[in-house]
Amino acid sequence: MKGISSKKEQGISYWILVLPAVLFYFAVMTFPTVFSVFLSLTNYKGGSLFTKGAITFAGFKNYIKVFQDSLFYLSLKNNLLIVLVSVLGQLPLGFALAYILSRGLVKGKDFFQTMIYLPCVISSVVIGILWQSFFSAHGAFQEIMQFFNPSHQWSMNKAPMIPVLFVMLWMYTGTYLIIFLANIQKIDPQIIEASKIDGAGEGQTLRYIIFPSLSGVFVTSAILAISGSLKSFDLLYIMTAGGPAKQTNILSIYMFDKAFRGAPDYPMANAISTIMVLISFILIIVIQLLEKRFGGKEE
Amino acid sequence: MSEIRSRKSAKAIIFSYAVYAVMFFFTFMAIYPLLWLAMSSFKTTQEFQLTSKLALPEIWWWKNYPDAWIRGNFASLFGNSIFYTGLTTIAIVIFSFMAGFAFAKIPSKATKILHKSFIIGILLTLQSIMVPLFLIVNAVGLYDTRISILICYIGIGMPMGIYLATDYIKSIPDSLVESARIDGAPYLVIFGRIIFPMAMPVGITLAILTVSGTWNEFMLINMLASSESIKSLPVGIQRFSGALASDYGKQFAALVIGLVPMLIFYLIFRKQITRGVAAGAVKG
Repeated sequence: MKGISSKKEQGISYWILVLPAVLFYFAVMTFPTVFSVFLSLTNYKGGSLFTKGAITFAGFKNYIKVFQDSLFYLSLKNNLLIVLVSVLGQLPLGFALAYILSRGLVKGKDFFQTMIYLPCVISSVVIGILWQSFFSAHGAFQEIMQFFNPSHQWSMNKAPMIPVLFVMLWMYTGTYLIIFLANIQKIDPQIIEASKIDGAGEGQTLRYIIFPSLSGVFVTSAILAISGSLKSFDLLYIMTAGGPAKQTNILSIYMFDKAFRGAPDYPMANAISTIMVLISFILIIVIQLLEKRFGGKEE
Repeated sequence: MSEIRSRKSAKAIIFSYAVYAVMFFFTFMAIYPLLWLAMSSFKTTQEFQLTSKLALPEIWWWKNYPDAWIRGNFASLFGNSIFYTGLTTIAIVIFSFMAGFAFAKIPSKATKILHKSFIIGILLTLQSIMVPLFLIVNAVGLYDTRISILICYIGIGMPMGIYLATDYIKSIPDSLVESARIDGAPYLVIFGRIIFPMAMPVGITLAILTVSGTWNEFMLINMLASSESIKSLPVGIQRFSGALASDYGKQFAALVIGLVPMLIFYLIFRKQITRGVAAGAVKG
């Protein structure tokens, strides 16, 4: 008898414990995700969702509309630029700084790490407005440039992605510093010591011990860079809102504009977000395959 | 012998200076814009426009701060931010460990599919649910309410919470739960008395990650809140980029007010925050 009641208690307890998490998660994430894919295949024009005829099936029409829009390709290009800055800028720089700190080449590791990661914890709204002012015609950047070249006339309109990419580099390098630092410190110091005794120089230690044991971390960081680029919204939305003349548009702002600026086109916005999710899944799979094929052995 | 050593150490000293120079350069780059902001926030708008942008203020015009505080309605923004962040964090920590305990220690057929669905959630971005969330919140009549924002925040935080909680509770020995079961303790009591207290270290990490994420969240609340009275700090500060952008003195003071709480939080918990970031990244 005790067995039965304890079995029952087990089932009830399980659901009591699991239910709050499941309810919140399914209501806020799972259902909307499915609903988003569904909406992207319809002609929904806004208004009550429950009215008869409010939602009619449209096939892949919205996806075709996205693929025929030149703004989509411009936004995609800017997203790829952000990924490039992460992979070729933030990652190597973060690694180099982490390496310097981890090898005990400077004192005050804690201080440097704290300061370089600092921009990352501040609200991107504050950061966005700050840099907007910094780069504006009345801003400090103009003055710095004129110090070097008095006739220089700085303007956001010339190559607007450059300041944006600079701010991204500035803000997120610290994240990679932290990730690399934590993982370099996990490498058994005895292995590094042993290689030193065997006569390996700093460069050889780096090449034969540190790089191979971090290959997995490089892959993780690349994935993080890609999903980070597709996620980024706040900073650009505040700093440039995609302007001037849409030159700094990225996919998330492109989607936001379709849904919330001017006449709403919800199905097209959902088609864009579905494409974004697919892009990130495909890129992540590609990176993992590349890693399996060419990557160094872990552990 | 000693000559070789001293020559070597001369080289080492130059190298060490170079390394320090590199580190100080990047540290300076990281914090200079923030120092520039703090400095500029003490200038009057007129001084900012007419004199060098790089110089220290001639008169330290501290009055920008009370002016910005009133113009920005900061008292209400702070109240709301504390409300959203506090309740979201408490809910996420408790719900995550409840479910994490069930997934890790109570045998059930449902665990496999439920747990997996949460892990998929880590990969989903807010963009992919933004528009449907907006439509659903409108359809159920919760647009522009505190409760809808709170529900969304809790739901979005669940995947990461479940991941961390389940992972940690799995590492607690089964024998601990089993021996309590033999003594006749119900699962809910085991959770409250044994597991939850034991999970505190990870609970704190999760809480800190949730606090910094929720406090800075902008995209969702920007979409779901239109009344001034329910806005949080990030959406509230946004007004200083639009209509009030040319009033530089107040704008800069408002930005400083906006970043100070997170700055203090970071300086207190920097060890836990950096550990959490590193741990969270490895999940990929």
